Amino acid sequence: MIETFYGLGTLESAKAFFVALVIGLCFGFSLEQAGFGSSRRLAAIFYFRDMTVLKVMFTAVLVAMLCLYYFLALGWISLDNVFLMPTIYGAQIVGGLIFGVGFVMGGWCPGTAAVGAASGKVDALVFLGGTVVGSIVFNELFPALRSLYAWGDSGVRFVYDSLGMSASAFVLLFTLIALVCFWGSEYIERRRMATGLHFNSTFMRAFSVALIVFAAAFSIFPGIPESAPGLIPYSPTAGATEAALLEAVETGADHIGPEELADRLLVGDPSLLLIDIRTPAEYESFHIRGAVNIALPQLNEYLMPYRNTGVIVLYSNGMTHPAQARDSLYRQGYQNVYILTDGLDGFMKACLKPVSLRPEPLSEIYAGKVNAWRSFFYGAREADAETIETSPEPPVKIGLLETAWLAQNLGDKNVKIIDLRSQAEYNSGHIPGSLFLSVESFRGVVGGVPSLLLPHDMLARHLSLMGIEPDDMLVLAPASEKVRDATFVATAFERLGHRQYGILSGGYEKWMAEDRPMDTRLPEVSESMYPAHGSADTFTIGYKTVLNYAKNGGAVIIDVRPVEYYTGEKSDEARAGHIPGALNRPYTEDMANVDGYWTFKSIDDLSHAYSAMVPSKDTTVIVHCRTGHQASQTFFVLKRLLGYQNVLWYNAGWTEWAARPELPVETSSGAAK
Amino acid sequence: MMTTASRTKKEYLNPYIAGILLGLTLFASFLLLGAGLGASGGIARVAAHVEGVLANDHTLASEYFGKWGDNPLRYYLVFMLVGTFLGGLFSAVWANRVEINVERGNACPPRNRLIFALVGGIIAGFASRLAQGCTSGQALTGTALLLTGSVVFLICVFAGGYAAAYFVRGQWDD
Repeated sequence: MIETFYGLGTLESAKAFFVALVIGLCFGFSLEQAGFGSSRRLAAIFYFRDMTVLKVMFTAVLVAMLCLYYFLALGWISLDNVFLMPTIYGAQIVGGLIFGVGFVMGGWCPGTAAVGAASGKVDALVFLGGTVVGSIVFNELFPALRSLYAWGDSGVRFVYDSLGMSASAFVLLFTLIALVCFWGSEYIERRRMATGLHFNSTFMRAFSVALIVFAAAFSIFPGIPESAPGLIPYSPTAGATEAALLEAVETGADHIGPEELADRLLVGDPSLLLIDIRTPAEYESFHIRGAVNIALPQLNEYLMPYRNTGVIVLYSNGMTHPAQARDSLYRQGYQNVYILTDGLDGFMKACLKPVSLRPEPLSEIYAGKVNAWRSFFYGAREADAETIETSPEPPVKIGLLETAWLAQNLGDKNVKIIDLRSQAEYNSGHIPGSLFLSVESFRGVVGGVPSLLLPHDMLARHLSLMGIEPDDMLVLAPASEKVRDATFVATAFERLGHRQYGILSGGYEKWMAEDRPMDTRLPEVSESMYPAHGSADTFTIGYKTVLNYAKNGGAVIIDVRPVEYYTGEKSDEARAGHIPGALNRPYTEDMANVDGYWTFKSIDDLSHAYSAMVPSKDTTVIVHCRTGHQASQTFFVLKRLLGYQNVLWYNAGWTEWAARPELPVETSSGAAK
Repeated sequence: MMTTASRTKKEYLNPYIAGILLGLTLFASFLLLGAGLGASGGIARVAAHVEGVLANDHTLASEYFGKWGDNPLRYYLVFMLVGTFLGGLFSAVWANRVEINVERGNACPPRNRLIFALVGGIIAGFASRLAQGCTSGQALTGTALLLTGSVVFLICVFAGGYAAAYFVRGQWDD
């Protein structure tokens, strides 16, 4: 299996730069040899005078496509190793149309202009200057363009899937279309310009036959192995028994029947995560008890920590949207997503329709079940109000893991538990198999500021020593009153692009209160090679960015320190006070003490509190404290629990801000709350 | 004495052979880098560098360029762009095609042609950021990967080009 720089995460290494340079040399050489150092020749395609652009481009596409797809089918390379650009219909349609105008006007495109400049063409140099200006214009207009830039984002999509064809049929069709274009181009050139040298030449015939043979022979392969296993075909299960349903789940069928779902919810199955993908208004008016409401575009981000752990069930009124969402998630590597057979409508009919209104006779057992389901799912609405003291919250919170889930998954080699308590506590007993980590070992002096999160390469080295692999599910187990230790470590994972993690809800106190297993043995660890991706961190910002927002607006700045530090009554830093315009929401306000241990407040409470401070989910929010520790907790709440899109973390925080006398400070109690 | 001028230019390569060469280059890029060819990505990095030199704080605080950090030029596509220029230079010198001029129709004043090139460049530079790639990164690379968005982009480039071709034809009048 071939491993690429991209696959290894080393595309930013000196070696990769050298390879890119050499590939660039070949690229430039090929373009120049094709005659693309001439704008006249390039533009001629738009006037049907010279179709070289089409011939060269389509030939190149065919050759690269055939070679790559053969390699994929033979298993010599996997798609994980190749960077695949997402399909963003709006941006690519609008961008393509505008680009075409620029292309025909300028007579160049960016790559050919580089070759044209090398050939001494002054117009190519001017065009290149234009592209630099155009890129800067884009950057300046980006805040206004953001929605267009993401308009119609559909993730990675293959054209054969979009057309509903097999890869091999599409490869053949595409080759035939290209050959028709080639022959047509030669014909047009011959008629209009008396060129078209290759029309019906021996070369052309041999070339065409060779391409058809290669494209047709591709169909001997059964298909392209995707990074995720192929889609499992949907099969309806109306009237299936409980046992058959469970078996279907076990064999990987992609649906879950309403009766099974109802039973699993009734017994409080902790591995189940039920997602309602309808509109918030529909969700408000009625939802299956225990369901979380998440909009489709946010689905992947919310579900990341649960990829291939536990059971994720999607539902809507019908089945179309959940099925489409499941397809998309499968393509992103999820193998544990199920859809509710016949949707909410089917659920109402099968489980919640009163026995008295059913035309068909029911067995006594089934009638009893229906009554139990009705009293559970309608709660206070219809049934006697006695069962309502159980919280209506989902069994598993997003970004949080329940102790029952962890208990079930102990011993899974891809689930790595990280104990964040003191070393003495760890030594005297920890969750079996867990690794010790002191949060301080992820912090250090960076750029003269103490206690900052270490750079990504050092973090990757730490994870390697702990034997952690990129596809591990990481469980952070803090002492419950120090959840911020877990969220701080979580920012390290985020910096490395490791999104498959969760925080143990209630921490060690809850685990021990429930009398779950403990151990004193140390885990077996073999060092891994955790790749040092650096590009995942788009959320850490420096004081310049904060200053810019503080001066010009455009972001809500939240200071999460205790209120007396915010107002400036207390200070143990260079200066007292806060960043002008910052709001205060101490991180401790997001926690509540229940049954002797600390947990996050309910999602409802949290979203209520933050929606009063932040206008919308895509507003830019900056969180900070002294050096990022407490703010990491608010970051987690906003980004992972509440789904705010643009949360930025000012790691160096008040320690740096206060110590830079040129930065403005406010000391009144300000516009807090 | 006019040896260079008397030396004749080499013929362009058969376009299908050139296409095969280009296709193999793209394939090599997939196998080694794990990413295809690209040109506008490198140019955008240069643009971020230029804007950083002019207004450092502003650029770092900007949403799009800002995420590339202090040194936007440390990126593989910047090196590929340099390679593309050098590869083109080698080929053009070898084929004796280097000639400093403004390419245009004989009836078009050079100044007009340069204005077209500049405006076209600005439009293409902008559009390539919006679509996250240009003819190299989207049309060529993405289509070879059979990605839906890239095929849509390719079709739209030609649609846009043919729609505008009539209005800018003057620059090629002889």
